[in-house]
Formats: sequence, structure tokens, C-alpha cells
Amino acid sequence: MLLPFFEWMQEHPASLYILDNTWFSPIVQVMHLLALSIFAGSVLIVDLRLLGVGVTGTPLAKVARDAQPWFIWAFVALVITGTPSMASTAMKQYFSPFFWWKMELLLLGLIFTFTVRRQLAQADEARMNPIWPKVAGLFSIALWTGVSVGARLIGLLS
Amino acid sequence: MLRDFCVWMEALPSSVALRESLNAYPILLTSHVIGMCAFAGLIMMMDLRLAGVGNRHSSITQVQARLLPWQMVGFGLSVVTGLLLFYGQPMRFYPNFYFWIKNILLVLAGLNMWYFHATTYQTVEQWNHDPRPPRAARVAGVVSLAAWGGVIVVGRMIAYPGLVPQWWLDLGLEGG
Repeated sequence: MLLPFFEWMQEHPASLYILDNTWFSPIVQVMHLLALSIFAGSVLIVDLRLLGVGVTGTPLAKVARDAQPWFIWAFVALVITGTPSMASTAMKQYFSPFFWWKMELLLLGLIFTFTVRRQLAQADEARMNPIWPKVAGLFSIALWTGVSVGARLIGLLS
Repeated sequence: MLRDFCVWMEALPSSVALRESLNAYPILLTSHVIGMCAFAGLIMMMDLRLAGVGNRHSSITQVQARLLPWQMVGFGLSVVTGLLLFYGQPMRFYPNFYFWIKNILLVLAGLNMWYFHATTYQTVEQWNHDPRPPRAARVAGVVSLAAWGGVIVVGRMIAYPGLVPQWWLDLGLEGG
């Protein structure tokens, strides 16, 4: 169903320009990885706090609020730098199982982060069964690790 | 001399085995990136705090001390996988421009960390809770962001051994 869309991306003049330009892809890859570091940091500082380790001296809600803009802007940077990479190699992506693995986990990660994890981070810690933040922290780390592993394997095994 | 060492290492049976394994390289490189996420990600969270732009509701000693063990987990994973990646293909990395820049930047980032802890950080109790720490601490945060960011930039660029200054290629390190 999505195949025509991926073919359109692959044949788009912008993709041809990217593939023809020596420095475009490396620079975009580098910026994608820089954005990933900030993104991972903003995820982990909250997940560690949910797990009851990390910056436990700060209330959970404040840790989460401090991390949120970095999470959002790093994600925006990941999308901006990821789109040309995806478009210019669209056929490789379409036929890579790891690309779909990455995108499905990514969608799940976003939904989880802005629903369950967000609610937990704002809830009153003292009145909550302490197991739930820990489950959420571990689940979040597992999800985003899965996204990164899938992403790296597109380039290595496809 | 360094070159001879790399040539010798490359011929060791375990290096050959690592290089010829189908799974070793993808597993090692992927783990290297996961280690980077934990290490660089949490280092940058601390740098943003020092620079006075992020995590401002947490005290500096909190962010410093409580994230350290997790930074070390990521660092350990990246170092072990990085050394194994090198061990499997020493003669791929030896002539690589970005590999050398990366190692130089790693040393500089380490020196910055050491210098900051030996000087500015000594007075941390006086500005521990300041949303905007003193200038020297903010500078250390920005320098650290630049240094570790640089490590990531040139680390990724190792995959493009041809996109380097001509004078480097003229050194002929590839040689036979």
C-alpha cells in the first residue's frame, strides 16, 4: 500500500540531489546522531528517576518538566535529519524489516511517552504503588533501545 | 612502529575471527551506539545543567553524582565494544583521519573534565542550586558539550574515509 509513496520519495528530485551530493548524507547522519544523544539523555534522565535511581533528590514531576523541551526539540531534529536520509534511500528502507521494526516501536514509544509515562510523571509519588513507575521506566528504556537498535541495523543488515 | 603493531594485531587468529564473523560487527557497532546513548546522553544532560540551560530544578551535585554510575555503564559498554571493533580491523582504522581526530577529542574531553573538577567544581557548594551557575562552570559545560559532540561527529565520519583533506591522503598511511 505504501510502496507507491516510497517509490515517489526515491524518485523525487530532492532524493536525486542528495544522492548526487558527496557531503549531504554524511552531514545529515552526523546531525542525526547528535540529536539522538540529546534525545537519549532526555529520555534516560526521566526513566532513571522513574526507576528510583538517578536524580532522586528532585521531585519526579520537575525532572520530567525540565527534560520535556529537550525531548521534543531533539525529536524534531531527529525527524528533520531523518527525513532526507529516509527519502533518498526509500527503496532500501521499504524492503528492510528493521525500518518497519524501528517505525512501529517509535510510534509505540511516542504514544507511551505522552500518555502513560506522562501521567505517572505528574502523579503524586507518595500515593502510588511504587512498582508502576519502575515498570514504566524499564518499558520506556526497552522501547527506545529497540528503536535505536532497529535504526542502526537498517544500515548494517539491509 | 604503531603501524607494525596494527599489522601484527590484524594477523592474530582472534582478530581474523572477529573480522570474518558475520554477526560480530553488527552486534558490536550497535552496542557501541547504545553505549553512546547512555554515556553521551547523560553527560550532555549534566553539561546542559552546568551551562544553565537544562535540568535546572536539580542541584548540580545531584546531577553530577547520581548520573555518574549510569554514565560509567554507558562508557564501559562503548569502550569495550570500541576496543573490540578496533581489534577486529586495526588496519581499517589506523589510516583513518577521523579515527585519529576522535582519539584526540576524547583526550581533550577528558582533560576538560579533570580540569573542571580540580578547579571550578571545588566551590560547587556555593552555587549548587543556582539555575545559572557562575561563568567558569557554564564555560566548562559548553566546552564539554562541544568536545563530546565532536567525538560523536568524527566517530560517525569514520565511515567516510575518503571525505578527508588531500594532505592526509598524501601521507599514504594505507600503503602496502
